[in-house]
Amino acid sequence: MNKYCIMIVEDDLVIRNELLTLLGGNGYKGVIAEDYTNIVEEIKEKNPQLLLLDIKLPKESGFSICSKVRMFSNIPIIFVTSCNTDMDELNSIMLGGDAFITKPYNTAILLAKISSLLKRTNSAEQGEVLEWENVILHLGSSRIEANNKQMDLTKNELKIMYFLFSHAGTICSRNSIIDYLWDNQLYVDDNVLSVNINRIRDKLSAIEVVDFIKTKHRQGYMI
Amino acid sequence: MNIKQYLKNQLPVIVLNIVGMTLLSIFLWVGGNKVESILLIVLFWLLTLSCYVGVKCFKRKKYLDELLGLTEQLEERYLIIELMNIPEKADDQVFYKILKMTEKSMLENIDLIHKERNEYKEYIEQWMHEIKTPITAIKLICENNSYEFTRQLLVELERINIFTEQALYYTRSEHTERDYFIHEVLLDKIVHEAIADNKYLLRQNDVEIKVDDIDHIVYTDNKWIRFILNQLISNAVKYRNGQLILHFYAEQIDDKVCLFVEDNGIGISESDLPRIFEKGFTGQNGRIIQNATGIGLYLCKKLADKLGIGIDVFSNSNGTSVKLSFHINDLIVQVQE
Repeated sequence: MNKYCIMIVEDDLVIRNELLTLLGGNGYKGVIAEDYTNIVEEIKEKNPQLLLLDIKLPKESGFSICSKVRMFSNIPIIFVTSCNTDMDELNSIMLGGDAFITKPYNTAILLAKISSLLKRTNSAEQGEVLEWENVILHLGSSRIEANNKQMDLTKNELKIMYFLFSHAGTICSRNSIIDYLWDNQLYVDDNVLSVNINRIRDKLSAIEVVDFIKTKHRQGYMI
Repeated sequence: MNIKQYLKNQLPVIVLNIVGMTLLSIFLWVGGNKVESILLIVLFWLLTLSCYVGVKCFKRKKYLDELLGLTEQLEERYLIIELMNIPEKADDQVFYKILKMTEKSMLENIDLIHKERNEYKEYIEQWMHEIKTPITAIKLICENNSYEFTRQLLVELERINIFTEQALYYTRSEHTERDYFIHEVLLDKIVHEAIADNKYLLRQNDVEIKVDDIDHIVYTDNKWIRFILNQLISNAVKYRNGQLILHFYAEQIDDKVCLFVEDNGIGISESDLPRIFEKGFTGQNGRIIQNATGIGLYLCKKLADKLGIGIDVFSNSNGTSVKLSFHINDLIVQVQE
């Protein structure tokens, strides 16, 4: 799969590196700006598909970079900043920024913004299909299929299955599953998760799939 | 002006005139004048004198009363000197000069304080932006490295963030200038954002969250509302009673969209309810829970007032419900239609 390239223009070293890790872990290729004296040329040269732009930068403000980039490119620009005054927000919109996220940002929200701007929403809209060990997950119609039989999944169940499928082969801790659900505005607790997992298992056995979701004691679930 | 006091002050003039009268009468009497003509002269003298004192007293009283009335009408009374004409009398002119000097030094002081306050506000704003860089860095580090202890760090980080926001909005609320930006906001988006802001805090405390379908659109500043919701959530967690259930729902009541934030916490006693929005008020709950500051709700109320949003609190021993009511602006709706 061709990875989207996202350029990070941020002067804080730690945040820059952590953003790289975060983007890398979510299937993007992050690049950082190196030379702040000639940032616009660097953007031209590296030609990213999306720009994460801080406003307060050592040489040139993010606003002026944004307006210069807009002269030759239409790539999505997300302002990531700690300036949360309204003038800044207004300015960023006027100068052609696509989104404005204030620090300290929620990484889930940041990733959601990125993916929606890159038109690569991981959700059901695209009718994506995931497959693992002959079990097929239909995101668009919220169904699970195996042995030519299908079962409908609820919203919670679909999200849980999506998370397990996208981390197939690795152990997903209960905490990380609940975190993921919360980031998708499904506020479940530990008990609800257990109930949901049991329901999924029932549905799976109804389509003759047994032991698909394995419980790793004290660690979580795995498919 | 007190007339009695004025006459008392005029006593030397009156005494001088009476002495003059007596001396003249004696002189005329010794010179062999008739008593009648002496009396007539004295009578005229007295008449002229009382006319003089009376008219002077009346004019003076009128002038001073006008000045006093004018001062009382002024909002900034120290500016009265700007409305006064330069007085004619020599001693009045001295007082005029003194007032003028007082006003000048007063204005200089006010200017200085304004400047200092603004500088302080700017410093706080700048500080807020700077502190957010390390907060963001820690948050990213913790989220990239998920362990049990980083989750605990994230909870504490959310608390730090709430406190910094509180300080920022406190400084902003003290200033009269407009800092907000009204635009179209999806109410449920703000609710979900506020929950996301407190994700780790809510998760750590096993809070059950119910969000009904909220499809209302309001015209307001989303950052301010998010701040208010953050304070309400943090209060609900602080004053919980066993397993906390937080319920968010919205209703349209008459011409208002009302957002309710309901919890099943310890509630607020009836005697405390009228005072919860006062600065520094902690009430009975403040004595039970240690870190009550009496700032959160005060700020919520202040910001809500500035935005023109109603904020009402209903409470009993089974929990508290906070209602935020947004006016539906007919004009905006009409323009859009």
